[in-house]
Amino acid sequence: MAIRVELQGVTKRFGSMTAVDGVSFSIADGETVALLGPSGCGKTTILRLIAGFETPDGGTLRIAGEDMTRKRPYERNVGLLFQHYALFPHMTVAENVAYGLRYRGYPRADIPARVNEMLALVKLPTLGGRHPGQLSGGQQQRVALARALATRPGVVLLDEPLSALDAKLRQELRAEVKEVLAAVGSTAIVVTHDQEEAMSLGERVFIMSHGRIVQQGTPDDIYARPASRFVAEFMGRSNWFAGTLIAPTRFRTADDMVLEIAPHATDGAGHTLCLRPESIDVLPDGGDAGQNRLPARVLEVVLLGAARQITVELDGGQRLLALQANREHAPPARGARVVVGFAPSACILIPDDVV
Amino acid sequence: MSARLGDEISRVVVWAVMLLALLFLLVPLLVTTLMAFDARSYLGALPPPALSFRWFVNCFRQDALVTGLRISLALGVLAAAISSVAGAGAAIALDGAKFPGRGLLLALFVSPLVVPAVVTGFALLLALSQAGILNGFVRLLFGHVIITLPYTVRATLASLAGRDKRLVEAALVLGATEAQAFRSITLPLIRTGIVTGAIFAFAVSLDDVAVSTFLTDPTTYTLPVALVSAMRASFDLTIAAAAVLLMLVTALLIFVLDRAVGFDRLIGQGMFRT
Repeated sequence: MAIRVELQGVTKRFGSMTAVDGVSFSIADGETVALLGPSGCGKTTILRLIAGFETPDGGTLRIAGEDMTRKRPYERNVGLLFQHYALFPHMTVAENVAYGLRYRGYPRADIPARVNEMLALVKLPTLGGRHPGQLSGGQQQRVALARALATRPGVVLLDEPLSALDAKLRQELRAEVKEVLAAVGSTAIVVTHDQEEAMSLGERVFIMSHGRIVQQGTPDDIYARPASRFVAEFMGRSNWFAGTLIAPTRFRTADDMVLEIAPHATDGAGHTLCLRPESIDVLPDGGDAGQNRLPARVLEVVLLGAARQITVELDGGQRLLALQANREHAPPARGARVVVGFAPSACILIPDDVV
Repeated sequence: MSARLGDEISRVVVWAVMLLALLFLLVPLLVTTLMAFDARSYLGALPPPALSFRWFVNCFRQDALVTGLRISLALGVLAAAISSVAGAGAAIALDGAKFPGRGLLLALFVSPLVVPAVVTGFALLLALSQAGILNGFVRLLFGHVIITLPYTVRATLASLAGRDKRLVEAALVLGATEAQAFRSITLPLIRTGIVTGAIFAFAVSLDDVAVSTFLTDPTTYTLPVALVSAMRASFDLTIAAAAVLLMLVTALLIFVLDRAVGFDRLIGQGMFRT
């Protein structure tokens, strides 16, 4: 597949601070990629570089094969969805959507039809005459999406697209944004600090830290095989055991528990073992709990709706977080003696030297 | 209970102070208005025994006042127009740029508010004479543009500060050039600020005595200057009538401003914000 967006060694400094540090990646036609990272990791700067609001201090940026490194924003065909919508308050919804068409030289006579088509696509066919101030947050973001996509941009950039909305609306709109992006077949880059947003919208996820991409892959890939503790902690919650690998399938924790793990090459390096909360079973004392069985006591049970979050304390004193689907079975009571169990394949080993 | 009583008392005190301030502002205006309609030909005790329009009629019979009014209006409109364009331009340049000395430049544009008007007037008189500009109207125009600039600069700056800068970025990414984005996005959003500045400038120009006194010549003078000299020559109630007319113009401006921008917003946004 053809490459749509390509960054090669792109660097951007603000004073003495290096916001983007030699980043390279390429994105295929029609692909949706999520840039995920904490605030200040450089993801927004990358987005602003691609949009053309900033010029890189080093490296090249290509869009559809053309060198765009030093082009002004209006010389690129990029769509941008702002976090706070950035709709023009003095124009109607239809005028907002028509804005890009007007300045990108779309045939004047065809503009109204295209505006209607876009408003229908985002399910707001009747609101063209309103002003942005008369719309709800979700409606404003849909208008912004229609405006960004109207000119058929070569790349669509989404800057924290849903973070200004409340939780329930965010989930609804996330599905809708995904649908619309798929419908127009756009290449898209989503910048976000929300791992759910990144995993649900991005076919590939790039995890960023301190101006660099520290890991990239499909959401499944990154979630199951984080390359570092930073990535593991950013993608979901985890339990951690410090310790050493004593055999290809044995891990000894710092407090002398020996855990069965999936076969792993012994490379002599120190390791940390990562265990996702949902791969831990909490069973009544004496129950069958797979290969790793650790006696524990329940500290707290919190109902989250679809799941229960159970905090247990191992007899060695370490606390673990477990997540259990909220099915018909009764949850363990607080203070109860239990056995926590997990499969060797659930243990993720992360070498210590990777930060 | 006593805490609550304290709150009640402070509320009453605040209201009392407000009413007092209001009285202080309004009583002289009311007295002037009342006297302007006094039918007696001498300054007598209030209230007047009979009312008439004779002072208003007299107002328009005095050539000096009519000339003053004509010049004041022409000067106000011209000064406000020039000052708005120059002030808005300066504000836009100051807002967009980050350069050393920006603060100094800003202070310079506002300095006519701080420098005593007598100094501004005298300095201008000297400078314009040196430059060979002797025409009274042109001299007055220079002076009025200078004293109204702080208002137009500040009003535009305030509206620029209140706007969302990402809107321009949105326009650029949608294909508009910087100039097109300025015309289609920035300008419409700061238009009320510019209009506000222009109206303030007109009001300030109409009102000025101190600077104008230095710049008038025997045939070119503004209404306030004409009023002052009329008062010196022969004090009668024609001046009260002229004052009432000036008040009417101001009231009209306030009404227009309130309709166009909303006075609350205007004051709330602050004319004097950087």
